[in-house]
Amino acid sequence: MGPRNSAIQMTILLAIVYLLMTANFEPINLAFSLIIGLGISSLVRPQHLSIQWRRLPIALAAIAGYLIYMLVDMWKSSLQVGRILLDPRLPIKPGIINIHSGSESEMAIALSAHAISLTPGELVVEMDDQGEMYAHCLDISQAEELIAEAQKVRRSFLNQIFE
Amino acid sequence: MYSVSQIIGLLCLVLGTVFSMLGILGLLRLPDVYARLHATGKVSGLGAVFLLAAAIFLTPLSAGKGLVLIGLLLLTTPAVSHAIASAAYRIGIPIKAGQRDELRKRLPKIKPHE
Repeated sequence: MGPRNSAIQMTILLAIVYLLMTANFEPINLAFSLIIGLGISSLVRPQHLSIQWRRLPIALAAIAGYLIYMLVDMWKSSLQVGRILLDPRLPIKPGIINIHSGSESEMAIALSAHAISLTPGELVVEMDDQGEMYAHCLDISQAEELIAEAQKVRRSFLNQIFE
Repeated sequence: MYSVSQIIGLLCLVLGTVFSMLGILGLLRLPDVYARLHATGKVSGLGAVFLLAAAIFLTPLSAGKGLVLIGLLLLTTPAVSHAIASAAYRIGIPIKAGQRDELRKRLPKIKPHE
């Protein structure tokens, strides 16, 4: 798959995103979205973008499932943090714990760090090149098991997305 | 009478306001910069997500635009919290009432000034 092919794919994807943003499907806006997509992809010059269009529905379903899982996770842990904040004794046990990301690819490490940081109560402070992450937790007493469990679910989604 | 989308919108509005307030409460009550980042970056972030959802249901904002904005918000807020926390750790701001610090072994050169 040559660079021109991936540039065309990127143009189409960008045009779709632009059309979603503007929610205006008139011909002139369609043309404008293609011009913008072409402009951006000629500036970025994607080299290794390879989209398998046949797998796109599965990947999109996995992305949607991942987003819903993340929102539910965020909701639950926000309620938990809210309960801590409203408690007059402020029962926090802060600390920094070591989390092994357990994956090799940079994208997967970045995404799991992102997911951990997104949920309230856990915040990745530092990470090193071996994929070890150091997360600040509001309550370290059970954080390790909870994070390990959530990691497992997230990894199954991510594997579906980046097959 | 209210329509269904208005009721959902109002519910989102209330939830968004509650989470934003919780975030500010956390900013005031929690002891140090790391713990405060949990409250401001993320609990308030969820509040902003709900307020955007309310805007989709109650104002002429189109759903596609609102969803893309929610996605961008979810994508960028953790990066901001992480950057601030990392910078705070590197200049040696101590963790108040910290019970464990497994990063200290990895970065021993940074000394917290108690």
